Amino acid sequence: MKKIAVLSGKGGTGKTTLATNLFITMGKGVLIDADVEEPNSHLFLKPNIQDTKVVKKKYPNVDQEKCNLCGACGDFCRYNAILPAKNKVLVFKELCHDCGGCQLVCQQNAITYKERAIGKISTGQLSNGLTMHYGDLTVGEVSGVPIIEQLHRMVEKEDWVWIDSPPGTSCTTVAALEGVDFALIVAEPTPFGLSDMKMVVELLEERNIDMAVVVNKAGLGDQELHDFCATKRIDVLAEIPFQKDYAAHYASGELLSVQFPEYKKIMEQILDRLLKKVGN
Amino acid sequence: MIAVCAKSQGLDALVEERFGRAQYFVLFNEDNSEVAFIDNAAKHESGGAGGMAVRLLHDAQVDVVLVPELGPKAMDAIKAFEIKVYRYVDKKTVKETIEDYQNGLLKRLDDSTATSKSGLRRV
Ligand code: SF4
Ligand code: SF4
Repeated sequence: MKKIAVLSGKGGTGKTTLATNLFITMGKGVLIDADVEEPNSHLFLKPNIQDTKVVKKKYPNVDQEKCNLCGACGDFCRYNAILPAKNKVLVFKELCHDCGGCQLVCQQNAITYKERAIGKISTGQLSNGLTMHYGDLTVGEVSGVPIIEQLHRMVEKEDWVWIDSPPGTSCTTVAALEGVDFALIVAEPTPFGLSDMKMVVELLEERNIDMAVVVNKAGLGDQELHDFCATKRIDVLAEIPFQKDYAAHYASGELLSVQFPEYKKIMEQILDRLLKKVGN
Repeated sequence: MIAVCAKSQGLDALVEERFGRAQYFVLFNEDNSEVAFIDNAAKHESGGAGGMAVRLLHDAQVDVVLVPELGPKAMDAIKAFEIKVYRYVDKKTVKETIEDYQNGLLKRLDDSTATSKSGLRRV
């Protein structure tokens, strides 16, 4: 199995555009949209949704009758999610990381776990028969990590997986990189774009993941991005020129590779070079 | 024991603009006028700083705390530990803020009308 993550330093660099067009151009595998706070690859791929699963997360529930307010659970919890107070134990559900520790240290057996929904995963089929899954974090929830973990479990048996990752370097990005063989960074040649991208490169280096860059809106900026890639020995797989047509087309929610043959050529070129790097 | 969110240690310190991530809590014992301070270990927490700070105050036997604001979680914790909480508005020193409290100029936040959600309410 090969897992390819498409990442970017910040949102709006064309990450979803690249991930969806590569997926369609390749015509095989499955795509997961792990940008769970703002999933939008389904808006371009337009899957026919066949299944929606609720993603749940556990949190402790304290039996105040059994509890003797010894304080052990609060001392244990690294996330300040459980707080023994004067007459009862407070639980802050959203802070709980579901580590199971408080139950383990409670001598009174006062702690059990309850579940609550934090989001959902939708699965659908594209008109060409390919499958995609996208996660959707409920507004107000703090961490999409459990949703991303479940997305990974759903595609365990696939041969080829495209991951539309969350932008930046948050813990959701780290979760999206689980088991990834190769990362494609989408970068824009602007000073801001470059500094955001450097953080992504650092994250990938830390995790020992091979990477390459695709420059989006090439021709808008300067040489700095290329210099950076050269010193880091990161290959630039392609440069997608800035074109007004593309922007207008993107806004209409259509896939560029379907409409523009020269764009499709660029996708084929990227796939070709990518396959040489990761093997098929 | 009164606690005040403070930017540094002692009565002349300026009050803080935050509770859970306050640098220090200056403690003042009304019975014997003794002063102490706690380094707020909760300020480095990535989440749940408010609840942890309340626990620190409880361990230091604080029964009144003067704050600039209080999030909903910290408010739940303050109530569960039965600590009274009053809000200051002006950026004064700790000493001046304690005097305002003693003169009844600060508004109590954890009274019957204050629900756990009041920290979120917009005016
Ligand atoms: S460890 Fe168990 S008994 Fe002790 S305070 Fe927590 S819930 Fe109560
Ligand atoms: S399960 Fe872990 S994170 Fe959640 S409250 Fe218990 S100790 Fe804290």
